[in-house]
Amino acid sequence: MPPQNTKYPGLHPLPPPFVNEYPPIALVIEKKCIACDRCPPLCFYDAIVMEERPAHEYQRTAVVIPENCTGCGLCFEACPVDAFIWIPDKQQPGIHPKPSPPTAEDQDL
Amino acid sequence: MSLTTLFVGLELQSPVIVASGPASHDVNQIGLAEEQRAGAVVLKTACSDKYEHMRYWPRPRYKLLDWDKQIEGRSKMFSLYSYEQGYSGTLTDYWRLIEACKQHATIPIIGSIFADDPKDWERMAINVERSGADAIELDISSPHRPGTSEFKTTFVEAIRSVVNVMKIPVLVKLAPGPELVHQCLTAEECGASAVTLCNRIRGFDVDIESQGPILHGYFAGIGGPWAKYYTFRHVAEAAQAIKIPISGTGGTMSGEDVIKYVLLGATTVQILSVILINGWESIARINKEVEEYLERKGLDSLEQIRGKALEAMTHPDEIIRWSGESKTGPRNVWKDKPEGRRTT
Repeated sequence: MPPQNTKYPGLHPLPPPFVNEYPPIALVIEKKCIACDRCPPLCFYDAIVMEERPAHEYQRTAVVIPENCTGCGLCFEACPVDAFIWIPDKQQPGIHPKPSPPTAEDQDL
Repeated sequence: MSLTTLFVGLELQSPVIVASGPASHDVNQIGLAEEQRAGAVVLKTACSDKYEHMRYWPRPRYKLLDWDKQIEGRSKMFSLYSYEQGYSGTLTDYWRLIEACKQHATIPIIGSIFADDPKDWERMAINVERSGADAIELDISSPHRPGTSEFKTTFVEAIRSVVNVMKIPVLVKLAPGPELVHQCLTAEECGASAVTLCNRIRGFDVDIESQGPILHGYFAGIGGPWAKYYTFRHVAEAAQAIKIPISGTGGTMSGEDVIKYVLLGATTVQILSVILINGWESIARINKEVEEYLERKGLDSLEQIRGKALEAMTHPDEIIRWSGESKTGPRNVWKDKPEGRRTT
């Protein structure tokens, strides 16, 4: 792991270890979240919302909507406390398209 | 005073166009762009079936380097390092996307395609036209594949064959580099209606802890506010060499940048990373800043200042010069032990 002493850790430079089996999506560790509101505006795919958590230290937390997350990594950059982690999206099959002769038959208009 | 811009026969309400990329991937985004008074939208690039794998995106695919960490529209500096890929649907989906955009939007929609075989280029272009697109951009310079930064013979053939079968205007998106003016001239000669300058450059970054490339291991597209300076230069050079209009793109963060592009001869300006980092409101803000400038300068339209900065450009031989450093004195006396820099 790279040194974690910077104010904004940001995205780890390498993809998560399970990247070859499942598509990664982001998850907020709610305990770490300081409800700073930085990630929702930076998420370009509307995949992060702030939710009320009365029991939480800051009463609110960021939450990732897995269906919208494209695993782009921008939220990791926005987080000042390193509250994002990668989790495998097991709803999606592990597909690994590689260059191949065309199989898709697309209709011309 | 108005921002209305005539570009390749299209009347745009603003010279600011949303560039091809993640901000032009679905039909709802066209509504957002229109709401913010964008002049037009270039849709995300669709790849031919041969590059089907480019319809799938690596995760993660963005890394913000050198970011000033400002949010809510205040970010001024960053480098967006990304493995941006193609439109994520099939070609049939893409034709439907164009149809849907045309159905719901009033601003012009520009299709964008990438292929390598001239036959694929031609076939895709015909479908883009039939779907109702107002223009088409040929993305012959994507930073994400080996070879695509080179202006290959196939690409020249592609431009020629696409232009031959198209009734709508054909834009050609070119990569920055020493050959760019030559490429612009070739595109013009092949009958392109306009050139888009420039695509993002292909960059690279290394993680010193794992001692390998960051993210997935291949070169990535890199852009950011700093990218405008080399694009300004390319636009200035191209504007003096070609007659077809130029759509400037790269590093635009503010109305000031748009005005600079226009002063250097561009007709429209394409923006993207500013939307990604600072939000959709950036389009309206940039429009407003350009309008304020026109008002302050008492101008009716940007047409009045297009290319104006080029008139004041100087040939290097004409630059006024003075004598250099004096040939005698302490700086030309060698001592065994340098005294170091004076501190007082």
